[in-house]
Amino acid sequence: MPSQFRKRIQKSLDNPALQSALDHNAERRRNARVTANASLPEELNSLRQKAHALRARVISNLDQYLEQFTSQAEANGIQIHYARTAAEAVESVLQIARDSQAQLVAKSKTMVGEEIQINPALEAEGLQVVETDLGEYIVQLRGEPPAHIITPAVHLSRAEVGQTFQEKLGVAFTEDIPTLTAIARKVLRQVFLEADIGISGVNFGIAESGGLCLLTNEGNGRMVTTLPEVHIALMGIERLVPTYTDLALMLELLPRSATGQKLTVYTSLIRGPRQPDEEEGPRQRHLVLVDNGRSALRESNLAEILYCIRCGACLNACPIFREIGGHAYQGTSGEHTPYSGPIGSVLSPGLFGISEFGNLARASSLCGACKEACPVDIDLPKLLLRLRAEGARPGRVKKITQNSGMYDPLVPPALRLALRAFSWTASSPRLFSAAQRLAGILSRLVSPFSEDIKVPAFSGWGYARDLARPAVTPFHAQFGSIAQKISEKSPQLKEPEAETAHFATNHRELPGNLDPVERFEAELTTLGGEFMRCKPEQAAESIAELLQSLDIDVVQSWEKESLPAGIAERLSQADIQMRSDPDPGIRAGLTGALAGIAETGSLVLAGGPGRPMSASLLPELHIAVLRAKDICENLAQALSLSQLQAANCAVLISGPSRTADIEMTLTIGVHGPGRLVVYCLDE
Amino acid sequence: MRETVQLFVTCIIDTLYPQIGKDIVEVLGRCGVRVELPAGQTCCGQPAYNAGMRDETLPIAKHTLKVFEKATGVVVVPSGSCAAMLRHGYLELFADDPEWRRRAESLAGRVFEFSEYLVDQLGVVDLGARFPGKITYHSSCHLLRDLGIDRQPRLLLSAVREAELVELPHADECCGFGGVFSVEHPEISSAMLQRKIENLESSEAPVVVACDAGCITNINGGLHRQQKTQRAVYIAEILARQ
Repeated sequence: MPSQFRKRIQKSLDNPALQSALDHNAERRRNARVTANASLPEELNSLRQKAHALRARVISNLDQYLEQFTSQAEANGIQIHYARTAAEAVESVLQIARDSQAQLVAKSKTMVGEEIQINPALEAEGLQVVETDLGEYIVQLRGEPPAHIITPAVHLSRAEVGQTFQEKLGVAFTEDIPTLTAIARKVLRQVFLEADIGISGVNFGIAESGGLCLLTNEGNGRMVTTLPEVHIALMGIERLVPTYTDLALMLELLPRSATGQKLTVYTSLIRGPRQPDEEEGPRQRHLVLVDNGRSALRESNLAEILYCIRCGACLNACPIFREIGGHAYQGTSGEHTPYSGPIGSVLSPGLFGISEFGNLARASSLCGACKEACPVDIDLPKLLLRLRAEGARPGRVKKITQNSGMYDPLVPPALRLALRAFSWTASSPRLFSAAQRLAGILSRLVSPFSEDIKVPAFSGWGYARDLARPAVTPFHAQFGSIAQKISEKSPQLKEPEAETAHFATNHRELPGNLDPVERFEAELTTLGGEFMRCKPEQAAESIAELLQSLDIDVVQSWEKESLPAGIAERLSQADIQMRSDPDPGIRAGLTGALAGIAETGSLVLAGGPGRPMSASLLPELHIAVLRAKDICENLAQALSLSQLQAANCAVLISGPSRTADIEMTLTIGVHGPGRLVVYCLDE
Repeated sequence: MRETVQLFVTCIIDTLYPQIGKDIVEVLGRCGVRVELPAGQTCCGQPAYNAGMRDETLPIAKHTLKVFEKATGVVVVPSGSCAAMLRHGYLELFADDPEWRRRAESLAGRVFEFSEYLVDQLGVVDLGARFPGKITYHSSCHLLRDLGIDRQPRLLLSAVREAELVELPHADECCGFGGVFSVEHPEISSAMLQRKIENLESSEAPVVVACDAGCITNINGGLHRQQKTQRAVYIAEILARQ
């Protein structure tokens, strides 16, 4: 009698649209990851081992790093709430909502939010919650949970998205992806501007500064952490890195493994709430640190799963995920978990119970593609086998988790019996031989004329396969005569020849000899950004011309003192107004930049008084002025800049905003600017 | 005679494919290697281990260790998953038992998978084999990812005379066997096997070679059920042909 789980699996296997979507996801994501990893500054495996060792150190010393992190964060002005359970986390959030008398919550993607089920709780309190990540928004409209850790709408076709928008938003049906994206952008823009509370996740907490690092592509993450009065960040306690240098390592690996990008469009670095001399930013910033079983997991022999950085590469590499999709990862009786794929198959039983979710650890062929794809080299097959051991003998392997009580063994009874019998014979050579010969004889009765037995479907094996017929005389019984015959022949081979490799080996392309500015330009333009290299006077002229050609006469801008000399004057001459406050009607933003990163084509912007972050976020066009001499080689150098580390809010911008949440088709220009023009000044 | 090796023939080859065992001994003999078959060997214990039944695995593993402790020297294992069980699985199995763990480590240090032994230990790539026609290669999961063996079987196949090696699309994707997975989740297993069969068809090779009899049994099971003409074979079957 197939369980709910197996029925749900069959539903996925019988769904051709889902199969096609999952195939597409697997192909694209795997190629993207492999290509992106080839661009790493160091050999991939060496970086993975460093990352593994780093995360191991953090988890082993988690209490110490949490202590450092929380005290720094509090010094920055962040209000910390420690939640031992999901219920405590929910209550913390609800209390903040009540205290701020909030009505509307804008949410960017957070798996911890899914884990604690924050949306229904807020709605029960009478608040409206709107998901702002495009994929999350789509599944929210459909009343579904996300189908993937990174790409929530991976399971849907454009037509299905079009139907959903038609039904739920009352717009005319369209399957055109840019149009669908534009519809979402328009609806959600209002939400960003009106929301009382922004809720986000956290990709990494930086222990040395108490800062939060958030990775997004669409701009919604920046919106919800910048515009509303109150920002609540939800973070699992294990998501720490000790220093900015460690963060640089993680940032080299995570985006490449997740989506094949060198960096997501926006890498936000947030230290605290709005400072007294700042014009924008949330007045309250809260961080809810969620344990919910993670501490117990740390004490178990599944602790390695806490190294996970939630990139989703294992989902994209997994041949089982490819067949069944994220929604099929349920408990035996249909229980829901937000974590699917290989990571979910360990995390779900590990956090939420083996009796409920131990079935997931058995729905794997242990092929190891997940481990191979993991940027932190987590040994997922080993952890799955440990879960199977606990599931087969409940309560005996006490090291797994503290909340594994007694339950029925998860090994199907018939299989258990068969393996016990096998085990009994395999410990005794005589019994084993006898069993082999018996199998040889019996199988000839069942299948006298064919060497392949038509095994019945109920056996599992016979569902779609025949089985080779056992020999009457096993090999070991024939060995004596075989060895005899062979020893009578003399060795025939000559000396070994040189190796010939006929199958191509992968050679890493060596980077070309570009100077940092050239490299920056090449990377930026690959991302869809525009690049102009010029003298300062020319830049001012060019910017004025650009704005005039677009009929733009007002820009949201950084203050004059934070821009290179001459620009403010030239704009004033052209009757172009520079304003600092955010206004949704303003179509262009003008900022300087602290630095550029050649390796990734990224701008580094440090916010502060006179340097509003929204200028590089709200308008459709973002014009940035960067000094050529401020371009550094790589991410690690950029993150070591003291002005970056000291800034209350900073962001790395890598191109115009983008999404590929619908059918993995790229659309440029979502919530953040759709056009980025960088003027690079040669002084 | 160059050396003598201990052969751990594996329960699948012993029970289902004695001919493969013969081919292995023949190929090694051609290299001047004498093969001994330690008496009383049965199984590495993978099936029970894979299912999570560690208590039932222990007696089999201890028995296997005892069998192979009786002689010294190299142990050749013609199966990626069985070699991985001996090299890595036993260390995990005996993690809490220092004495058996030490014994497992000692054995692990002298275990070699068949193709790895030929290429890396003997330095042999050309076995004087001849097999006209197209052949392709499936990278078994434990062999590829657990043991890091891929170059070696491909080199061996590339030296086979008159053989036209063609790349199997998605050669490194799991065939769907996975041990008990194949009987606990036959629907998913069969879907994965179907992909492997379709990839085999598009390679246009009548023969796919693998270094793991579990994969071979799985793939042939599907091919035969669908009445296809292609076959999966163990690498020694090709290397033995002259």
